[in-house]
Amino acid sequence: MPVQLTSSPVKLNPLSLEDPLPPSQESTFIPAEAFEQATNPLSPLLKVFGTTFLTVFLAELGDKTQLTTLLMSAESNAPWVVFLGAGAALVTTSFLGVWVGQWIASRVSPKTLETGAGMMLLVIAALLLWDVVGG
Amino acid sequence: MDWHLLGLSFITVFLSELGDKSQLAAIALSGSSRSPRMVFLGTSAALLLASFLGVLIGHETAQFLPTRVVKLVAAIGFVILAVRLLWPRTESSEIEPS
Repeated sequence: MPVQLTSSPVKLNPLSLEDPLPPSQESTFIPAEAFEQATNPLSPLLKVFGTTFLTVFLAELGDKTQLTTLLMSAESNAPWVVFLGAGAALVTTSFLGVWVGQWIASRVSPKTLETGAGMMLLVIAALLLWDVVGG
Repeated sequence: MDWHLLGLSFITVFLSELGDKSQLAAIALSGSSRSPRMVFLGTSAALLLASFLGVLIGHETAQFLPTRVVKLVAAIGFVILAVRLLWPRTESSEIEPS
C-alpha cells in the first residue's frame, strides 16, 4: 500500500530559530502524524472502521440486496444457507471494491484521487437521496 | 447443506452488488484512506450485519425500519465524508510551510 505523503508535517522546534540544535539532536524530530500514531495507534484505525461501517450499514439497510436476501430466506426453509451465500458474496464484492480503490490509488496522484473519491461519495449520496424521494 | 441454494444466493447477491453503492463507497474510501484493511473490515461488517438483520427479521424489516429516514441519514454521512475529502480541514493547511 502506498503511503501518501501529502504534507510532511515535520514540526520544527520553535527554539531552534534562535538557538540551533546540534545536528544529532535535530535528526530526532518525529513527524507529527507518526508521533500521533505511535502514542495512540488504535484510534485512527477505529475511526476509519467506524465511519465506513456506519455509512455503508445505513446505506445498505433496506437496499435491494437485503430485500433479495430476505425474500430468498423467506421462500426457502434454510435461511442460514441464504445468509452464508449472501455473506460470502458481500465480503467478496467489498474486497474487490477495496482492491480496485488501491489499484487506482497506485496510479493516480493523491490530489486527483481525493477529488475523485469525494465526487464519488457525492454521487452515492445523490443516489441515496434519489431513493428517498422516489420511494 | 443445500449447495444449490448456497450457490444461487451467492450469485444473486454478488451480481446485484457489483457496482452498487456500497462497492463504490468501498472503492472511494479505500483509495483515499491510509488503512484499506479497516475500510474492508468496515464495509464487510456493515454488509454482513445488514443481511443478517434481513434474514433474522425477515418480512417485517420493511415495516420495522423507517427506510427513508435511514437512507437520508446515510446520504448525509456520505456528504460529510465527501466534503472532508474535497475541502480538507484547516488542520492540514496549518502544517504546510507558509
